[in-house]
Parts: sequence; structure tokens; C-alpha cells
Amino acid sequence: MNRLASSFAAAALALAAGALAMLAFHADPIAAYGALLQGALGSVQGTAETFVQTTPLLLTGLGVAVAFRAGLFNIGAEGQLVVGALCSAVFGAWVHLPTLAEIPLCFAVGAAAGGLWAAIAGWLRARFGASEIITTIMLNYIAFLGANYLVSGPLRGSNAAPETAPISPSAVLHPLVSGTRLTAAFPLALIAAAALAWWLRRTVAGYELRAVGQSERAARYAGVNVGPAIVRAMALSGALAGLAGSTEVLGLLHRFNAQLSPGYGFTSIAVALLANSSPLGVIVSAFFFGLLQNGALFMQAYAGVPKDLVSVVEGLVILFSAAGMLRSARGRARVAVGPEGGVGTAPT
Amino acid sequence: MNSALAIATTVAGIAILKSTPLIYAALGGVISENAGVVNIGLEGMMAGGAFAAVLASYYTHSLPAAVIAGAFVGGALALVLAYFAIALRANQIIVGMALNVFAVGAAALLLTVLFGQPGTSPEVRSFSSIASSSGPGIAATLHYALVWMALGLVLCAHVILYRTRVGLHLRAVGEQPRAAAVAGIDVMKIRYVATVLGGVLAGLGGAYLSVGEVDLYSDGMVAGRGFIALAAVIFGKWTPLGSFGACLFFGLFSSLQIALQRATVPAQLLEMLPYALTIVALAGFIGRSRPPASDGVPYEP
Repeated sequence: MNRLASSFAAAALALAAGALAMLAFHADPIAAYGALLQGALGSVQGTAETFVQTTPLLLTGLGVAVAFRAGLFNIGAEGQLVVGALCSAVFGAWVHLPTLAEIPLCFAVGAAAGGLWAAIAGWLRARFGASEIITTIMLNYIAFLGANYLVSGPLRGSNAAPETAPISPSAVLHPLVSGTRLTAAFPLALIAAAALAWWLRRTVAGYELRAVGQSERAARYAGVNVGPAIVRAMALSGALAGLAGSTEVLGLLHRFNAQLSPGYGFTSIAVALLANSSPLGVIVSAFFFGLLQNGALFMQAYAGVPKDLVSVVEGLVILFSAAGMLRSARGRARVAVGPEGGVGTAPT
Repeated sequence: MNSALAIATTVAGIAILKSTPLIYAALGGVISENAGVVNIGLEGMMAGGAFAAVLASYYTHSLPAAVIAGAFVGGALALVLAYFAIALRANQIIVGMALNVFAVGAAALLLTVLFGQPGTSPEVRSFSSIASSSGPGIAATLHYALVWMALGLVLCAHVILYRTRVGLHLRAVGEQPRAAAVAGIDVMKIRYVATVLGGVLAGLGGAYLSVGEVDLYSDGMVAGRGFIALAAVIFGKWTPLGSFGACLFFGLFSSLQIALQRATVPAQLLEMLPYALTIVALAGFIGRSRPPASDGVPYEP
């Protein structure tokens, strides 16, 4: 309850600071936030688009949250998303199967690719004690540059633009509501959140993951094989991010290009923090950020407030969440973030 | 033969210019991490510094003011990190991430609010714009002043860290803060000063990017250099000279890219190298890279 209150306080404070910033440059905060809400939730199209923006944030947010629960800080969701999206797009363009086989396979390929990419960081942490914080940052850049290279060279479609060939028609996720971009990806992401919540709470593997997050040493004495548990946690985290990449490819772009994600994987860190790493909480916080991102365009168009204000609010949400966590010094989030603080290499 | 030499000198020259902003930011990271504060917000501090320098140059037309403004904003952002990380004992990684998002967003917001044009600032008086008005000689001298200053700061930092009492205290605070406190060292104060100093240096690196290399600020212009600097800190094993060498090495790759534009090696693969090497270094394949013992750990007196 206390943690819930501190999350709401962090979001409210950040929005209030955003309002103050608007007053500083003579904009009307009430009109601006009004336009944001009206745009994001005032119509069927607007609401559907908010859910569209929520979907990748929800999946990547779940990924970051599950890593937090294992005591790991996955900053690499963006890279895992890119790798998942690229592999999903290549597979979807290459294979022609009936829809009912092709779509699940494309998702599986995206999740596997994202999971493997993140597992590299998990393995380096488990085997050599290399901090996953640093390795996931580095793997992000390797993924961006690698994807850039592949789409401008070897994997470039027939198009002049640096992007892969379109996926086959049977791999396309069609809109659920006509006139919108909302696909089955959104309900799937909700199911993923519920499944993750159940898995963490009701299975042995989920329990072991949480035990490692609470205390590696205690988990080891309790008989948990810590190394593989860390690799599994990172793989699961990356698989969720990879899945987010797949949904963007199958549902929206139908191919891969470097502009696929406006930074969902980075925003997902804010999503997971605000949700205190609870899978069901992630649904709410992903919706909050999805609403902000979608509404920002309307705020810019109708109230003349630049959409970048939302990034400022986002930064402040992260900052205030970080400050809120310590008030409950033994709270989950505190334990959940990183090995005992060490960056570079984890204490053994 | 002569032309090969000329190419080599050009590549080396560009390498030094390309690595200068990295040297500033990495040195900032080395100083704060040796005192036990991880600065993952270097990217944001560079962006803040780059934007502030352009803003100051726009309003004052003075280059010294621009450089000072860059350093000041970098330091101010670091003060936020210091307050949250040291006084509130918040998670340093999260605060650093927050600063990255905040600084880049705030710069983009102010760009639109102040100049009415999203994405890019107007062109301002810069080290390169002086070149066209008063001849290349003076501009080169001024430009190189920033480069030489970076080299000087690296040497200063090396001497201070390893040859003076203050440096010993700083490293003690990063390794064993409790023992340092028992010995009468003010752990909080040293961590504050080191963190803010780190931000000042990152801000200088940002100023070099905006008013040194070009004459404007544009969204995304820092382009991951803060994270390359972070990589250089690790690759250089948390020492000023080591990270300086790492920056030069990484800068060499940026310049090779320019020299080898027509070559068969794709630019992106060369750009990947710093990141890949850092992973290799962390895993211990080329001599293990170990951080100060209490790096990133909040001190609770």
C-alpha cells in the first residue's frame, strides 16, 4: 500500500513539475493536459492508439520488471527489442505458412532472438561476474549498429530505403477495430502480464527467481542453482522485449527498419520502476506512459506545448521513483535493483 | 611514401579531435567512480553542456561564456545526481538514467520554446565560425586550446589521484568509505565534490561538441558518446591515463571510419568495436577490469 502511494506520488509530482515548466513559458497547463487527455482517450481512434502505444511498453516493461525481481538491472530492453524485431521480420518475409502457424512462429522467433541477446549478458554475469548493467548498455549499441548495417546492406529489401523486405501477408496482424491500428497484440500483452504474475508467484522457477533477487547468497544456501537462474531470468526478460519488437513488426510496420522504436525499451525502465516491478502494476504504468506518449502529439497540436515535455516528465518520474523507494528501506524495489550496488563487476 | 605519411598524420589528427569530448567525459566518470559514485548520466550531462554552451553563445556571443555555461550545467545536473545518490542514498544507476532522459528531453523542449524550431538550434558563434572571420590560425589555436586543456586535465587528475593526500582520500572513500570515515575523512563531502566535478567535465565535453566541433545544438547530437565515455572508464580500468588511452583508441576508430569510407569494412562494424571490447574487458579476457570496491554503493554513516 505504501509503495503504491509512493508510485502515485512520483507520477503526480512529475506531472506537477511539468505544469510548472509550462507556466514558466506562459503555456496553460490545464489546457495542455486537457488536450493530452482528450486526444489520448476522447475518441475511439485516440483510445485505440493509446493501447497501441501501451503494447510495446507493457511487454518491455514486464521484461525489465522480471529482471528487477531477480536482482538484475536490464538496461538493454531496447537492443533486445531491435534484435527480436529484426529476426521476426526476416523470418516473416522468408517463410510462407498458413496464418495460424506463421504468426505464432514469428512471435517465437522474435522472443527467442531477444532472449538469446539478453542471455549473453546473463551468462557474462553468472560466469565472469561482469555487471549486466554495463554489458546490456554495450549490447544495445552493438544491436543498433548491427541492425543498421544489416538493413543497409545484406538484408536490405528491394526497396531503396534501408529496411528489410515486407513480411508475407499471412504474417500480418490485422486491426481488431477498423480505422485503428489496434491489433491482437494488446490483449496478448495483457495475457503475458497475467501469466508472468502467476508464474512468479506459483511456480518453483518463479520462486527461485525471486529468491535470487532477494539474496543471492541465501538462495544458494536454499539450494537454488544461482548461475542458471540468472541466465534464465535475463533470457525471459529479453524474450519479452523481443516479443515487443515482433508485435511492432507484425502489427504496425510489416517490415524492419531502424526507426521501428522511438525508445520503448528505455521508457520501459520507467514503466517497471513506477510499477515497483509488479507484473500487474506494469499494466497500469505502461498505460500511463502510453497515454502520455500518444496524448503528447495532441498537446502539441492543440495547446502549443512541445511534445518533448513528456520526456521531461518521464525523466522526473524515474527520479522521483528512485527517491520514493528508499523510504521503505527494505522494500522490494530497493533489493531488486542490481547486485549490491556494484557496477563493473558484481560482488561474488 | 610521403602521401602515406600525410594520411597517417591526418588520421591521427582527426583521432585526437574526435576523442577530445570523450576524454573530458571519461575523466569525469573516472573521478566520480573513484569516489564511489557511478555516473551513468554522462550522456545527459554532455547533452546539457552542449545545449547550454550554444545558448550562452547565442545570447552573449562570447566563447568563454559558452564553455563556462556548458561546464556549469553539467555540474548542476551532477549536483542532482549527488543529492539523490549521496544524501538520499537512491540507486545511482536509476538516478543517472533519469538524468539522461530529463536532460535530453529538456534540451529538446527548450529548443522549441526558445528558438521556435524543433530539432536544431540556430547557428551561433563558435570555435569553427571564428575560423571564417579571422583566419584559420587563430581558430585552430583556440580549438586546440580545448584539446590541450583535456590533456592537461588528464595529467592533473593522474597526479592528484595518485600523488596527493586529497587523491588518496578520494580513492579511500571509493574503496572503503567506512574506514575512511574512521580516519577522519568527510566521505559525503568528497563524494559531492567528486560527483559535481565529474559533471563539470562531462559538460565541458558537451560544450566541445556543440561550439567546438560545430556551431549549433541538434537533438541527438551526443549520439551515445556519454556511453562510449563510460566504456572508456571501464576499459581504462578506472584510471585517468588508462581511460585517456581508451578514448584515443576509440577516437582512432571514428577517424579510421572517415579515412576508410570507400573501403570494404562497413562503418557500423568499426563503430561497434568500443562496445564489444568493453564487454571483453569486463569478462576478463584481456586482463580483468575491476571497479573501486565501493563503486555505486551508497554510504550510510
